[in-house]
Amino acid sequence: MAYQLSRRSFLKGLAAGGALTALTAYGGLKMAPTAAGVADGYPEAAAGARVFRNVCPRNCYDTCSMLSYVKDGILRKVSGDPANTFTNGRLCVKGYTYTRRVYSPDRLKYPMKQDKRGSGRWQRISWDEALDIIARKILDIKKQYGSTLPVCLNKYSGNFDILHYGIEGMMSSIGYTTRALGTPCWPAGIDAQTYDFGTLWNNDPEDLVNSRYIILWGVNPAWTSVHSMRFLYAAREKGAKLVVIDPVVTQTASKADLYLQIKPATDGALALGMARHILDNGWVDQEYLKANAVGWEEFFAYLRREVTLDWASKVTGIPAGVIADLAREYATTKPAAIWIGYGLQRHTNGGQNVRAIDALAAITGNVGKSGGGALYGHLETWGFNYAAMTMPKPAGALGVKKPDGTMSDRFININNFGAELLNVKDPPVKMLWIACRNPLSQDPEPQVVQKAFENMDLVVTVDHFLTRTAAWSDIVLPATTQFEEYGVNASYWHYWVGINEQAIEPYFEAKNDVQIAMLLSAKLNALEPGSCTYPTGGSLEELVGKEFNQKMLDLLGIADYRELKQGPRKAKLLTAAWSDGKFRTPSGKIEIKSSEAPKYGLPALPVYVPEKQAPPEYPYRFITPHWRHGLHSQFQNIDWMMNVSPEPFVEIHPATAAAKGIRDGDWVKIYNEIGYLTLKARITATTAPEILVAYEAWYKDLDYNLNYTVKAVPSDMGKKATGNRGLAFHDNFVNIEKVR
Amino acid sequence: MGKQLGFLVDTEKCIGCFGCEMACKNEYQAEVKPRWRRVYQQKEGNLPYPERNFMSLACNHCADPACLKVCPVGAYSKREDGIVLHDHGRCIGCRLCTMACPYGAPQYNEKEGKVEKCQLCYQKIDRGEEPACVAACPVGALELIKDLASFPGPGTVKELPGFPDITITRPSVRFVPPRTGIQIRRDAE
Repeated sequence: MAYQLSRRSFLKGLAAGGALTALTAYGGLKMAPTAAGVADGYPEAAAGARVFRNVCPRNCYDTCSMLSYVKDGILRKVSGDPANTFTNGRLCVKGYTYTRRVYSPDRLKYPMKQDKRGSGRWQRISWDEALDIIARKILDIKKQYGSTLPVCLNKYSGNFDILHYGIEGMMSSIGYTTRALGTPCWPAGIDAQTYDFGTLWNNDPEDLVNSRYIILWGVNPAWTSVHSMRFLYAAREKGAKLVVIDPVVTQTASKADLYLQIKPATDGALALGMARHILDNGWVDQEYLKANAVGWEEFFAYLRREVTLDWASKVTGIPAGVIADLAREYATTKPAAIWIGYGLQRHTNGGQNVRAIDALAAITGNVGKSGGGALYGHLETWGFNYAAMTMPKPAGALGVKKPDGTMSDRFININNFGAELLNVKDPPVKMLWIACRNPLSQDPEPQVVQKAFENMDLVVTVDHFLTRTAAWSDIVLPATTQFEEYGVNASYWHYWVGINEQAIEPYFEAKNDVQIAMLLSAKLNALEPGSCTYPTGGSLEELVGKEFNQKMLDLLGIADYRELKQGPRKAKLLTAAWSDGKFRTPSGKIEIKSSEAPKYGLPALPVYVPEKQAPPEYPYRFITPHWRHGLHSQFQNIDWMMNVSPEPFVEIHPATAAAKGIRDGDWVKIYNEIGYLTLKARITATTAPEILVAYEAWYKDLDYNLNYTVKAVPSDMGKKATGNRGLAFHDNFVNIEKVR
Repeated sequence: MGKQLGFLVDTEKCIGCFGCEMACKNEYQAEVKPRWRRVYQQKEGNLPYPERNFMSLACNHCADPACLKVCPVGAYSKREDGIVLHDHGRCIGCRLCTMACPYGAPQYNEKEGKVEKCQLCYQKIDRGEEPACVAACPVGALELIKDLASFPGPGTVKELPGFPDITITRPSVRFVPPRTGIQIRRDAE
């Protein structure tokens, strides 16, 4: 058909006088090409394909609804699913590389065993042999130590599909084990919003179009949530002003109407300075506070006593007049939304700073309003059964004794994983299972994690690629991609939930985490009957069905999960979070003075806690944000991505570069007391003189890991809702010198 | 001559996400190296502030295509709608077009021993669909201009700093220039 149409178009072109003149002038007509020749060279990849629904399961705001195009059992291309009005039928630069991830020559095809950890001497083994080694080790450990506590799981965000919680289920099904607990990403902000509102719950991001004033505070959606940009632009087209507050001129800042270059980690001081100005000028929404908040009188007393515009200016580096203008505009242009990014809470005072911003939204009456809000994230659409995760313990299983006489797993801090692995005793950890995770790349102090690996009898990693962690394991097991398995996914930002259909057969011998759990269960029970409770049969699609309860079905307006095969559904939540006024704090109100925070050793009020300062020997703050071409250690290694983004670099301010004698393209060394890295310099005034910026990523065949300089410094909050405090990734200080 | 198609590149909206470039690769499952569409970062010095601004460029389907002029085997043709087509079957890989094009649109594929370039998704155009890059842009920064002659487009320009001389081939591309916000910077004098 394409041939016919283009052929006809071409002939019609010849008949037109203008075209004839243009073409004959160059002799282009002497050998008129056939349309067939054109089409042969440029075939459309998805012609004649069958279409399946998928969801991108990565740790990302946007959690894209996808379509996959399959012909002859091969994934031909991917696209966005237009049924989702948030992602709007589009993917991102990462999502469009999926065919190259699925069929990458670097992808793990078979289970493999390494001769000596880190030697690179790998040997293909069968699934049966791999599971036999693993099962025997688990049983040996149980015999030697009297429990399975020496078996440790480290699993997190490499795949957020709900069925992948089956890995936790697999661990539960063998007994009590050691678990890496917490989240590195966002816990300080989660706790801050939990203290203030009772939990985290952002307005529907599609509602941003109704804002008249939007502050993007420490967030860079142009890189990390591209689909949100459409709603921000739509709001601007309707007259909204876009303000970006960030220590560096991010891609999003480059698109703002107003950009404020704040000193890192001083966001709370800015919010408090604004609050004081709002208070002094009578722009407080008294009615809203009276009906919905507690502790505001004490907050105002604190502001009057301790906060001035000049103080805020001094702390933040933003002129007092600018803060005053910002406060006036924010308080008087309603509704006004603040999107609180995860970057700004990756500090030792990060959660406290989020609380100050929450208070700013509350006192101006912007909480619970369409077009308003203090948007951080949500888990309102995550109310699945977690059936794959919930497994009974085998008879006689022993764990950590709790005061009430019951037993539990043993928890160690995911955010200080290496050190805690080294320290944990009675019993020590002897076996690691790592899935959906790459700690030797992404953890702070990966050198300590690697050291801790030395104490292990067995390290098993399940992944798509021979990651840094997989390369330092004894056994690697090949995982399926989302195109090769069933699943169901929700977002922590938008309100859509979608089913993920299996579109193609698993790549070589790759298996889904749940299937691996089933096989391990069969092996364990063959060796020692009753040693594992995980089911050994059942399809993944059946298991997806088991994840739905009536509340989830009602939320999505469906009677059966299979209806999601017709397209993703948007949850029937309130468009404006908290517009029902039913806050989930102990008082049922916004707790500007928190009743819970003091129980965790934190101030009750959102007072300013000073930011961490650079030590004299390491005067540069090394900020290491997410990268446009990757998501943590995913995507940047793919060949299409390497082609457009071949190497890492560090962004250096021209003044700093001049002082250090560094020119654009020079190799520089960035170092501190725990480690160093060398990479190329990119001179740009998008950063500040005392800030160096490099982006975390795993490049194919490049020795680049900026986490070797990143210390496991905890952020202030996270303990309450996520079990452990977060990481102050951006309170990392280094020095820099030119190498050549 | 029919109506000339073209691209509108809105550098005010463009966030340099590279989605268009990768969507193009995805649509044709193209070879790794050739970049039929390519996202270029503009030099900071060309802008009022240090910012991250981009130009997303593919073949400009020029009114006077230099590729077509120099091709010794007539592998290039211009459709009635202005799309400059490259006939892969006819191409001998001499690379004259890659030297003649001011925009680097035709690129040599070493694996094939031939040149290739953006065909403006002519199959999609013939079906009434948008080109893959346009359809993929998350912020509407790329548009298909359906009739370049009647497209003054308020606020659009024919060239931007860094864009090659448009008098050579008369490219079928228009730009919305970048927008300048206000920056309150700590390194300001």
